[in-house]
Amino acid sequence: MKVVDLLERRRQNWQELERYCDQLQGASSAPKLPPASMSRFGALYRAACADLALAHAYQLPQNTVQYLHRLVGRAHNQLYRSRRFEFKKWGDMLLYDVPQRVFNDRCVQLMFVVFWGLFILAAWLAYSKAAWPDFAEQVISPEQISAMEENFKSPIDGSQRSGDDNTVMASFYLDHNSSIGLQCFAWGLLVVPGMLVSMYNAIFLGACFGYMARPEVFDGPGGNFFHFVTAHGPFELTAIVLSAGSGLRLGLSWMMPGDLTRYDNLRKTGREMMPVMGAALVMFFMAALIEGFLSPSAAWYSVKATVAIVSSGLLAFYFLVLGFPRRLL
Amino acid sequence: MALRQQPLDSIIQVVTPENIAFEYRLAGPFRRLPALLIDFALMAVIQTILGIVFVLSFGFVSMGLAIALGTVTGFFIKWFYGGFFETFLNGQTPGKMACGLRVLTDRGQPIDGLQAVLRNILRTADLFLGVVGLAVMTMNRRYQRLGDLVCGTIVVVEDRQWLTGVAKLDDPRCIQLAAYLPPNFVVGRTLAKALATYVERRRFFSVPRRREVAKYLAEPLLEKFGLPGDTSYDLLLCALYYRTFIADRSQDERLLAEAQAVYAQANPLAHLMQPNQPYPNQPNFNPQYPYGPPAPGPAAPPPLPQEQMAGAGSFGQGR
Repeated sequence: MKVVDLLERRRQNWQELERYCDQLQGASSAPKLPPASMSRFGALYRAACADLALAHAYQLPQNTVQYLHRLVGRAHNQLYRSRRFEFKKWGDMLLYDVPQRVFNDRCVQLMFVVFWGLFILAAWLAYSKAAWPDFAEQVISPEQISAMEENFKSPIDGSQRSGDDNTVMASFYLDHNSSIGLQCFAWGLLVVPGMLVSMYNAIFLGACFGYMARPEVFDGPGGNFFHFVTAHGPFELTAIVLSAGSGLRLGLSWMMPGDLTRYDNLRKTGREMMPVMGAALVMFFMAALIEGFLSPSAAWYSVKATVAIVSSGLLAFYFLVLGFPRRLL
Repeated sequence: MALRQQPLDSIIQVVTPENIAFEYRLAGPFRRLPALLIDFALMAVIQTILGIVFVLSFGFVSMGLAIALGTVTGFFIKWFYGGFFETFLNGQTPGKMACGLRVLTDRGQPIDGLQAVLRNILRTADLFLGVVGLAVMTMNRRYQRLGDLVCGTIVVVEDRQWLTGVAKLDDPRCIQLAAYLPPNFVVGRTLAKALATYVERRRFFSVPRRREVAKYLAEPLLEKFGLPGDTSYDLLLCALYYRTFIADRSQDERLLAEAQAVYAQANPLAHLMQPNQPYPNQPNFNPQYPYGPPAPGPAAPPPLPQEQMAGAGSFGQGR
């Protein structure tokens, strides 16, 4: 059979398949074709695949082969569609996979040690006036110090904030802190920028805490500062450590691939670390809600301290109890 | 069959569950950049519109709520726009859709939600200093940026191509010439491919260029067929193409009549201008579009302009 006749016979099928592709292309979520058309689409796709496979035997001209490659590609993409989020699995992932993974993850542990080590070191340097007298002024610029003192000048009694302000600030914290976390995670892939950002954050926060704890500051703005940060601190600082740690794990996965190739190890680690980042995001959201609504409110300090203790307890339960290796039980 | 190595080409092969290997063209950085810019513009537009909507609706109740909603949606648009669309639009964002791109896994499968979200979050790392992603793209074969490497995804071009079918031969002479080809000559696979490639592209070439390209294949063939050495090379390949792809000997007469009718319709005055001189020897004579009808009857292939004969080339032609 000559190619012309063959093309004439197949042309109709191919064009019909193209029309189905066009219809399906617009369909966003559930394909809209009736069942009969769907099965017809499948049959046409298989026929086009067969034509492509036999293109050599049929001696189809190059242009037609190119056309068939494109057509089969388009139809393939409409037939095999992206899998959605598996919401049912999210609970499992967050409550089982993530704590198990974090408990054993050396990178998160390392980041925990680095972050808190630098934090405590910076806090002590900023607090003590003997070891490094103007450490606080060097890390936090004098303008920032005076701005901070200005912010926390009056006691936290909810008088300066309306409900509107609280909502705005909660959303601002959510946006700002989660973005920092996601950035730490993404930059962790490049290792050096991720480490630098996390270490800078640790030193800066530590210096703030240390400066505010100085006896002469603590009586005024310092006390108000601690009053403000107590409630949301545990969630926020844990989340920052978690996102930086999982980012570091991503970065080290291509630096030290172990038995796998760099590319394979990177893909495997990316799949594993995304849920950890998701858990960090959940913590950022909770911290933002507490920071927006509870921290600036007039609630007693004991209430805020209780919230801090309860959230620390929850985190400990999450990482230590849920994360304890099952095989050791 | 082993996969061909195509180091200079941006084509990857995908083997489907139907056990067919088909080809995708990868999208390089300069195809992906416009899609990214469109997406950025769209993100800004969506955010602005939503902001106005929130202010106009919730703003009357509480302006704080409106601003808060705007900030939160801004956060989600900033980080999850790409992930959302690539999950629900089957690997495309609106920008990619406009540019005909699609994200797939490196095995040609559709991506899942996790890959879509992760590769878009990691764009931050790719945009670090503005060049990290570009540098990484140049260092691997599949133009993957960092986010693509972590998720194991690629971006392919999904353009549609029009079905062209076989090339139209509008010169009746090649049907005539085809009658003189030996009937027992079998066109092999590689020769058929070369013929198709040449004839489909020849209309983009000038006449001297056609002769130059066709020479290497046509010279040995002329010798083999025992045709006069001054036959037009271009015409010979067209005739062979016609014999291979279009028609058998039995259909020649019908097709020749059709072709002549079409030709006469296209040039109604042709036979008046040159009644008995089929191939005028004008200096700028174009063998593909001559000014007269072909010589009727079973005459030998018309004498065509002399062509410079080079040494007989060799060609691989499996009989």
